[in-house]
Amino acid sequence: IPEMVSPAIALAFLPLLLTLIIRYRYYFVLFYRAILVRIWKDCVTGLTREERAYQYILTHATPGDPDSILDAFDVWCSKVEFISNIGPKKGKILDRLLMEQSPLTVLELGTHCGYSTVRIARALPLGARLYSVEMDQRNAAIAEKIIRLAGFDDDMVELIVNPSDEVIPRLRSDYGLERLDFVFMDHWKKSYCPDLQMLEGSGLLGKGSMIVADNVLFPGAPKFLRHIRKSGLYEWKIHRATLEYSKGIRDGMAELVYQGIK
Amino acid sequence: KKKRGNGRRKGASKEAGEGEEEMQVRPEKRERGKRRRAKNDQEAKGRERDEEEQTKIKSAKTTKTRKKEKSRKTEEEEGEGESEERNTKRKKKHGSAKKEEKEEDGGKQVRPESLSPEELEKLKEAVDERKKLIQGLRGKPWPMKKKLVTLRESQEFVEKYEGALGKGKGRKLYAYKVMMTKKWMKFQRDFENFKTACIPWEMKIKEIESHFGSSVASYFIFLRWMYGINMILFGLTFGLVMVPEALMGRPYGSIPRKTVPRAEEASAMDFAVLWDWGGYAQYSVLFYGYYNSQRAIGWLKFRMPLSYFLVGVGTVAYSYMVVIRTMARNANESGVGDDNSFNFSWKMFTSWDYLIGNPETADNKFASITTSFKEAILEEQESRKDDNIHLTRFLRVLANFLVLCCLAGSGYLIYFVVRRSQKFALDGLENHTWWERNEVNMVMSLLGMFCPMLFDVISTLENYHPRVALQWQLGRIFALFLGNLYTFIIALMDEINLKREEEKIIKFNITMWEASLYNSTVSENSTAPPVTIHPADVPRGPCWETMVGQEFVRLIISDTMTTYITLLIGDFLRAVLVRFLNYCWCWDLEAGFPSYSEFDVSGNVLGLIFNQGMIWMGAFYAPCLPALNVLRLHVSMYLQCWAVMCCNVPQERVFKASGSNNFYMAMLLVILFLSTLPAIYTIVTIPPSFDCGPFSGKKRMFDVIHETLESDFPAWFSKVFSYASNPGLVLPFILLMVLAIYYFTLAWIHSQKPLCFLFVCPKRGKQEEEQTSSTEGTNGSRGGQKSSLTGCRATKQQCFITGGRE
Repeated sequence: IPEMVSPAIALAFLPLLLTLIIRYRYYFVLFYRAILVRIWKDCVTGLTREERAYQYILTHATPGDPDSILDAFDVWCSKVEFISNIGPKKGKILDRLLMEQSPLTVLELGTHCGYSTVRIARALPLGARLYSVEMDQRNAAIAEKIIRLAGFDDDMVELIVNPSDEVIPRLRSDYGLERLDFVFMDHWKKSYCPDLQMLEGSGLLGKGSMIVADNVLFPGAPKFLRHIRKSGLYEWKIHRATLEYSKGIRDGMAELVYQGIK
Repeated sequence: KKKRGNGRRKGASKEAGEGEEEMQVRPEKRERGKRRRAKNDQEAKGRERDEEEQTKIKSAKTTKTRKKEKSRKTEEEEGEGESEERNTKRKKKHGSAKKEEKEEDGGKQVRPESLSPEELEKLKEAVDERKKLIQGLRGKPWPMKKKLVTLRESQEFVEKYEGALGKGKGRKLYAYKVMMTKKWMKFQRDFENFKTACIPWEMKIKEIESHFGSSVASYFIFLRWMYGINMILFGLTFGLVMVPEALMGRPYGSIPRKTVPRAEEASAMDFAVLWDWGGYAQYSVLFYGYYNSQRAIGWLKFRMPLSYFLVGVGTVAYSYMVVIRTMARNANESGVGDDNSFNFSWKMFTSWDYLIGNPETADNKFASITTSFKEAILEEQESRKDDNIHLTRFLRVLANFLVLCCLAGSGYLIYFVVRRSQKFALDGLENHTWWERNEVNMVMSLLGMFCPMLFDVISTLENYHPRVALQWQLGRIFALFLGNLYTFIIALMDEINLKREEEKIIKFNITMWEASLYNSTVSENSTAPPVTIHPADVPRGPCWETMVGQEFVRLIISDTMTTYITLLIGDFLRAVLVRFLNYCWCWDLEAGFPSYSEFDVSGNVLGLIFNQGMIWMGAFYAPCLPALNVLRLHVSMYLQCWAVMCCNVPQERVFKASGSNNFYMAMLLVILFLSTLPAIYTIVTIPPSFDCGPFSGKKRMFDVIHETLESDFPAWFSKVFSYASNPGLVLPFILLMVLAIYYFTLAWIHSQKPLCFLFVCPKRGKQEEEQTSSTEGTNGSRGGQKSSLTGCRATKQQCFITGGRE
């Protein structure tokens, strides 16, 4: 018989366990909603998460009205399942930045299912153009549908289905872009840093171009932050907020203004 | 000739005085400075210098003629009167300089002079001017560049011509004097630096303060203070108890109480036994049982039992004195705290912690000030609305309820474990595993470690200001530790009673054994030499005092171990993992989930305080405890300094720890009282063991005082003492003491009152004026307000009057 630790000592660890549970409750909830529920629903319905979201929006939102689509998305993400969109709170910051900047050429990396695309397109001035890059074919198909449902046509929003590291070097040649006024990053957190460096190298960024990156604190992009700190090319700040559709997990959105080499 | 001598003397005294000079001639200097400044603005620098000199000399002449009229005596009186105002050091210097200067004067009067007297005087005046300029330079409203240039030029001038004033022997002496003055000043400065460097760990603490703010530093200052106290306790026990017994007492193996019993001899040197403080460690000066009850030991006739008793009492008395003295000193320093009114002004003007020197902490502080402003504005809004107060109250009550549940649970767990350990002890400890044997200590340490974390989490419900939250947290942990400690003591008391019953049986057995031994020797052979029994074979009692001492030492050791292991795992290992796993992890470990740990001020302070409480409690039965504690504090000073700088991040809400020192002290006082309580109880009520310790054979431990009085002091003294200890005299004396305390408290309160009024009255007056002005139209409660206002003014006047009288 192996030597047993006495039950009293085991009981003494109870406060530690409680502390951990209470302190990290939001993470547990997130784990449950984002992973367990997703796996369960995938098995039950046989559809992907994005398709389920699309179905919900189709039934609950008014076509041609971006606001109602966004609202439906928010409701679905906070009540039913979890998709890491930018969310309403950080979305407001994004809206404000877009209003101030009123950019004409916008690049979005990571369309996912089109929430942020609709959000950006809604806030753009007349004649502006948004290029949205998505790697996954199925997600892109759904995003396309949602964008069209919101009433944005091909002239305004162009969806590029390719990995971002292939798209960025070809932006100038294939899409005839001269300068990007606004870049929004919300794709793989690991690609933030290489993509930013690629953008710097491509020469598409001019003085005053704004780059906004979501989720720089959670899940977090430490290399990206280190790069912007060190490079000295940007005036930057981090808008502190909480993770989308969750109260207790802190997250931040980085706002960079390209200054060029001085 | 005489006049000139006078003048020279004056000049010389001016030079010698240097610093002292400034005040004497301030009005003139100011005048001249003004004139010079006006000129400086107009003219170029190069030309200016020459002219300036001339004007200076002129003006100096005028002042000199004025001054000449005064007699030497008055001048000297003046000098002395002024020198009295300065601090003693400088006065001394001044005096010595004067003496030297007199000698020089005497030497000069007989020698001829080659330089014409007028020139000499001019030069002297110019040099004086320069010196004055150098001294007053700091206060001049010039640009820094100009100041620097002027300073350099003046210094060069002084250097060049200062030596030329004296001649021959006098000149050398003068140069020597100037050099010595400079050296002395430098020495003083260096000495000041040296004194600062001598304060132990000052630089370390300052560095921590600059990184983490004053609340973390206050812990380390407290730790250092505690270290000082423990050094003195250690000195007392080591110098007056342990060393005399080790050097002059009977050696190891001479009597039973100083020998390892035969049954334990085989394992007495095993590490496991020594680690448990058994074996040779138990039978050494480290514990109570080793000490002999011999009245006087060695050629010094050192009264060992008396010394043991007095040191035991003295350490406690000294601790009381020090704690109370420090509290009183701190109480004077802390001002009238008022966080509620003028909230925004306080925040605006006093929220910065000027000791922060680290950009990251400054960022945090900046962010925290911003958030605190936001929160204060929100709070203000909410207080206007005040609909949420019920929720807050409910949450606070709920939090306290949860904490109480937690406390009760931990108390019950400890009680359960202690009962179980008693059962184990009855079964015989050898049959149980290491886990079971160390269960009590383990559970106590673990609970002491984890429950505060739980409290911390619960306290986020309450939404207090961090300073208030810290005090709540401290109070809760205090209750937890206190409960744990007292459960432990109660368990110990039970064990003491068990041992005493065992002792009774053994005592009876020993008498039987001795009788049988005696009988056998007598019956066998009356002429044979009496059998000498090796002290290791003599049966002996259980010696509860040593047992208590051992328990405390074990507790301290396990506590220390837990602290260090938590530090290494919870802080260091976590920091290493976070730092290096971050390169290959899917989220940001540093900014996100585990992150680095913060320094836990409240937990550490309380750990320190309770540790000290255990030392006070156990030091009487284990004289080695202060030594162990000094060691522990020393190590934890370095370890924690390193850990805090290496693995912790500044607190998210950095706040100032002003006034928290006295809070720590108050807790320390409470703990001191609570820990001396059981110690004194055991000393007074339980008779000492019959065969171990310095008080063996006495009915009570304090009988040693009585014994000393009877045998070491003259008869009249003990008579006086017996009269003095008569209740008829003691009671009035106590009454007198109580009255004196009452008087002093009242006096203190009265002296505090005017100050309070000075703080409160203008404020209240202003508020009420605001109110009256705002409610100009509605005259409902105006009369009342006015009367209260006038009342306040009246009291203010009154307190001014009383203040004046005092």
